[in-house]
Amino acid sequence: MINNKSRNTQSTLHRVRGGKGSPGFMVLPVLLLAGISTGCATQTQADSGMAAGTRVAAGSPSLAPLGPPPIPPDNKQSPEKIALGKLLFFDVRLGGDASTGCSTCHEPNQGWAWAEDFSRGYPGTVHWRNSQTIINSAYNPRHFWAGSASSLEKQARSAARGGVAGNGENDIMEARLALIPDYVTHFREVFGTEWPLIRDAWRAIAAYERTLVQRDTPLDKYLQGDKAALSEQQVRGKKLFEGKAGCIQCHNGAMATDFSYYNIGIPPNKRWEEEGLAQITFRFEQYAKGQTEEGYRTAKSDWGFYYRTKNKWDRGKFRTPTLRYTLYTAPYMHNGVFYTMEEVVDFYNRGGMDEEGRTTFFPENKSQLIKPLGLTDEEKEDLLAFLEAFSGEEILIDPPELPDYAPLFTKQELMEAKK
Amino acid sequence: MGVQLSKRCSLLAVTLGVVLAAPAVFAADIGSLPALKYDKAKAELGKRLFFDVRLSGDAAIACSTCHVPENGFASPTALSKGYPGNGHFRNASSVINTAHRKVWLHDGRIGTSLNDVTREMITEDYIMNMDMRIMQERLKQDPVYLKMFEDAGYGEPSNGKVRKAIPEYLKSLTSKNVPFDKGVMSAAAKRGMKLFTGKAGCVQCHNGPLFTDQKAHNTGVPENFDVFLDPMNHQAFIAFAMFQGIENYMNLKRDPGYYNVTLDKSDMGKFITPSLRELKYTAPFMHNGMLKTLDDVVAFYSNGGGEDGNKSPLLKPLGLSKSERGDLVAFLLSLSGDPLTGAEHVWQEPYPEEYEAIANWQKVRN
Repeated sequence: MINNKSRNTQSTLHRVRGGKGSPGFMVLPVLLLAGISTGCATQTQADSGMAAGTRVAAGSPSLAPLGPPPIPPDNKQSPEKIALGKLLFFDVRLGGDASTGCSTCHEPNQGWAWAEDFSRGYPGTVHWRNSQTIINSAYNPRHFWAGSASSLEKQARSAARGGVAGNGENDIMEARLALIPDYVTHFREVFGTEWPLIRDAWRAIAAYERTLVQRDTPLDKYLQGDKAALSEQQVRGKKLFEGKAGCIQCHNGAMATDFSYYNIGIPPNKRWEEEGLAQITFRFEQYAKGQTEEGYRTAKSDWGFYYRTKNKWDRGKFRTPTLRYTLYTAPYMHNGVFYTMEEVVDFYNRGGMDEEGRTTFFPENKSQLIKPLGLTDEEKEDLLAFLEAFSGEEILIDPPELPDYAPLFTKQELMEAKK
Repeated sequence: MGVQLSKRCSLLAVTLGVVLAAPAVFAADIGSLPALKYDKAKAELGKRLFFDVRLSGDAAIACSTCHVPENGFASPTALSKGYPGNGHFRNASSVINTAHRKVWLHDGRIGTSLNDVTREMITEDYIMNMDMRIMQERLKQDPVYLKMFEDAGYGEPSNGKVRKAIPEYLKSLTSKNVPFDKGVMSAAAKRGMKLFTGKAGCVQCHNGPLFTDQKAHNTGVPENFDVFLDPMNHQAFIAFAMFQGIENYMNLKRDPGYYNVTLDKSDMGKFITPSLRELKYTAPFMHNGMLKTLDDVVAFYSNGGGEDGNKSPLLKPLGLSKSERGDLVAFLLSLSGDPLTGAEHVWQEPYPEEYEAIANWQKVRN
């Protein structure tokens, strides 16, 4: 606890290396169960810049209907575990000052994300990246925008402990669980421990999140043979998606993402120029993610995948996000710079530039897959219509009623305690 | 000097036991505190930091939230407030004269420096729960701090410099105009002093200029059940015990005290002797605030302390009369000086409500 807080740098490489076994293990069930194609297996080599031009739309994996989510063999689903995970997902006591839990930044009414460019962050802070939706996160082989967590279990842990997210420490969170009798019983039933262990909380939360999937979108239905599921306009949009617009080069497979890392030219969020609180977090992240001194002093944009690899050609690269459920998850991109899908399409149509002509601070790393598309207004409309087919009904739930704290001992027991 | 005396007393206590309880005169190595030199600019910076809520994780509490100036820089409540979302399980001690100490915290778990104490208080999750990397960046966002760190010769704000500046400020928090130090004591206080060094035997542990041997003793102070009956306090206690590696922490029904340091069962329930300076302001008393007034404290010792299997053999019923107890309290009050509540000791300027953006951000170095 002390070390963690006062340590000068925290190498994210450790986390990458520590999780080395996981991606392969996660990929396999994805392939088998969900029919997602090979993009993810070669994620770190993808788009090195040198391969530019060799990848064409025709060679990309197809879009596919979404199968059941992969379940890791060391964290099997059970109704009791899922029910516990649901409670914990909404319990703000799994955070530093008992105000910030998972659902705080992954708010069901905001697409299970947060409807601002930057996630709201822990009280007294603001985050520096966009909160991503929980819906279908079960299919991601890695989590966070630079893929720093290799499982939902690890994502939950990192988010609950991060200084600008949950800012919780294991010991106090575990202590809180022990003082909530319903949880003690529930954890004992599910995990067989005398007292709740914090790592089991992450496992239960992950199990709950694996139920938050959407597999009945218009696109799923269409791909399963219901040709009426897409409008004519959407079918035209699909053609553009797979052809002229080239979206499918990265947004492919059942999750409409190759889970790889690209610099597509997203400009830095202007809040870093305008807001003191955002500037604080920006520098903290450079510090916390193990930047060099010079990197800390000079970084003025999010270096993304670089923080994990420390390769200069990875600066400004981020994981291809899914397009599923995007109807509800605005704003878009790792830093939320686009509040509408129209802006997103315009950005790509310009070849990776916003309307002011701003782009990445690392143009040398920008993917050569990104170039002006020359879409007409009508084509843009078609594409936008098709993008809506990646989303079904909005998934809304009532937050569960949470169990209360209760004293562990009676006064009588305390009086009888031998001194 | 105090250390030596104390060693001698413990030895006596072990070998002679009962004899100590008899009226005796102990070498009264009590006296005034030497002055502390400190750097004005660094202390001024430390003062601003001490009162700044931005040094806690959610920017809700400052050092001064529990170390309240009007309360002699101690906690006015029996148990400290703790970080939002939890409570606490001990009473925050006065930090007046803390710069003179050699060991800190009720269980004595820090015996190195105030630099380490500062870090512990700021980062501990149930206290201020601050990721010091975020703290550093907050400070770098405040132009007043930029100037103060520079003026103090520290360069740019950093975690390490915070841990130097706050201890420098603490050097300025020392007893001022203490009747005992100035030798202007009432007749009652003088009689009390005689009891203190004689019949009552207080000086066996409360010796040296700080009136503490800075050693751990078990006086049998009753447990504060609020620690265990209020889940907010209990969670802080469990988190503490878990992190410190105390076994069987879920079943603990008492504060282990110095046991935390030694893991020796005979140290269970021992706490570091507190200083007796500034008691006029720092009620309630004891590590868990169980004694509300100085009258209660003196009565507690007059009765031979509390009940505990590990209780120090130094404690025996003293049989003090009512007037003797009054004299002792008068002496104790003569160890308190002026309140340190003015601008010299308390940061009184407002803090900015928002963090100003750094202008021309793209161009300047972070």
